[in-house]
Amino acid sequence: MLSQIFPNKNFIYGILGLTSFFIFWQIIGHFQLAGLSLPSLTDVLNFLFDPERHALFIRAIGATFQSAVMGFLAGALVGIFLASSVQILPILKNGSDRFAAVINSVPSIALGPIFLILIDREATPAGVASIHVFFIVYVSMSSGLSSASREHEDLFTIFGASRIKQFWSLNLPYSAPAIVSGLRLSWPAALIGAIIGEWFGAARGIGILIINAMQNFQINLLWSAVLLAAMMSLLFFGLMTFFERLTYQRFR
Amino acid sequence: MENKIHKNRIISFINLNWGIILILILWEFWVVVNDFNPIVMPSPEGVLLDLIQNPIIYIENSAVTFSIAVVGLFGGMLIGTTLAIMTWFSPLLSGLINPTAVLLSSVPVVSLIPIIARILGYNMATEIILVVIITFFPSFVFTTAGLRALPPGSQDLFTSLGASRISTLKKLALPAAFPNLAIALRLAAAHAILAAMIAEFLMGTNGLGYLFAVTKQEFLTERAFGTSVIATVISVIAFLASSHFENNVKKRFT
Repeated sequence: MLSQIFPNKNFIYGILGLTSFFIFWQIIGHFQLAGLSLPSLTDVLNFLFDPERHALFIRAIGATFQSAVMGFLAGALVGIFLASSVQILPILKNGSDRFAAVINSVPSIALGPIFLILIDREATPAGVASIHVFFIVYVSMSSGLSSASREHEDLFTIFGASRIKQFWSLNLPYSAPAIVSGLRLSWPAALIGAIIGEWFGAARGIGILIINAMQNFQINLLWSAVLLAAMMSLLFFGLMTFFERLTYQRFR
Repeated sequence: MENKIHKNRIISFINLNWGIILILILWEFWVVVNDFNPIVMPSPEGVLLDLIQNPIIYIENSAVTFSIAVVGLFGGMLIGTTLAIMTWFSPLLSGLINPTAVLLSSVPVVSLIPIIARILGYNMATEIILVVIITFFPSFVFTTAGLRALPPGSQDLFTSLGASRISTLKKLALPAAFPNLAIALRLAAAHAILAAMIAEFLMGTNGLGYLFAVTKQEFLTERAFGTSVIATVISVIAFLASSHFENNVKKRFT
């Protein structure tokens, strides 16, 4: 019974570690050991949960969440599509690997202005987010697709299955866990992309809060925005981790 | 005969680079069809011309960004690996640090840049520290995992032969963790350049990110694009070099 509440020693250590991290933060902030830029945790939380600012924060979360989700979906679709295509047409594989690596290496601050011209201002955050997601999903899916065992592939070849048939019945199911892991890992990247994309003239969002707070020295607002971003990241990350476990149980 | 070799070379070049060629063609096509003013959207040859005509500006700023990225990368890898080894020695420390590290690693690091800049000041040291923070997580996470993924039975062998904890670390755990460390390096290397560039963009006094911010404000769009092209090339090279290194390490250690 007790072991169900406290799964193991590491769990307790973990709680201890997190608690001491927060206490440490609180002490530094309270006595202003790091200057005015590091307020105490309670100050930030008070600011964050002040009912007066609820509307502001909810608008910002909504905008960033929408951009991140749109970018996430678009990037994941393109990544899955490209990885599948080159699995079926292997002659294109080397080139598309290089293509993905180059696209991923374009600095995200340079993507902003390009997307501003390519699509409209409001869609720019989603565009930048989609690039980050695309790369992670593409890489993890291609490694998943190639993880099918040699013997299985030989079997399909012997029975004269077409490459497309082999893809649907062998490689794709094999790659399911890798795709889900890729999706999980790409969510924080989607959020970062959306935040950077918002710097290029979006109307609202967490990125706008961060930039405004930085330029106007509103330290509590800055920390609140960071906490919001962290929470959005963690919540979805947790959800995807759960989903990932399910997939691993089913496909492995 | 010679002609055929030549032909094969061209084919393998296209095979490897069709994606990039496609981007360049689409870019050129898009600029020509829309008849963009170079201030809005320069053409590939305009950017190339600016790159060729002003090599000094590009080289100087690349050198700054590159050194920030390299120093930060090694700092981050060193701290991450050291901390991972410390947690390997002490289960208590590992329990204390791990969940906090996971929590922090899910924070979008970009949103921390303004805060760290406020605390440490707007200067080069802060930019290096930012790269350290960003590259720290992969090395910590992967080294921690690698130190524990030992070949089956090897730990028993070391224990039964009475090896000390330190010699187990040196002769067993560290070599076992090396391939993972190489993966961390690959993930962090390309990231380090881009992180340095974002830091310079937000608070810099020089470097590629700063050059990009300034030229964009002054509508020197060709130079802004040139800056991006250079940054892309550097980070692709970093990525390819570290992938190459990782493959060699994999062959040597597994």
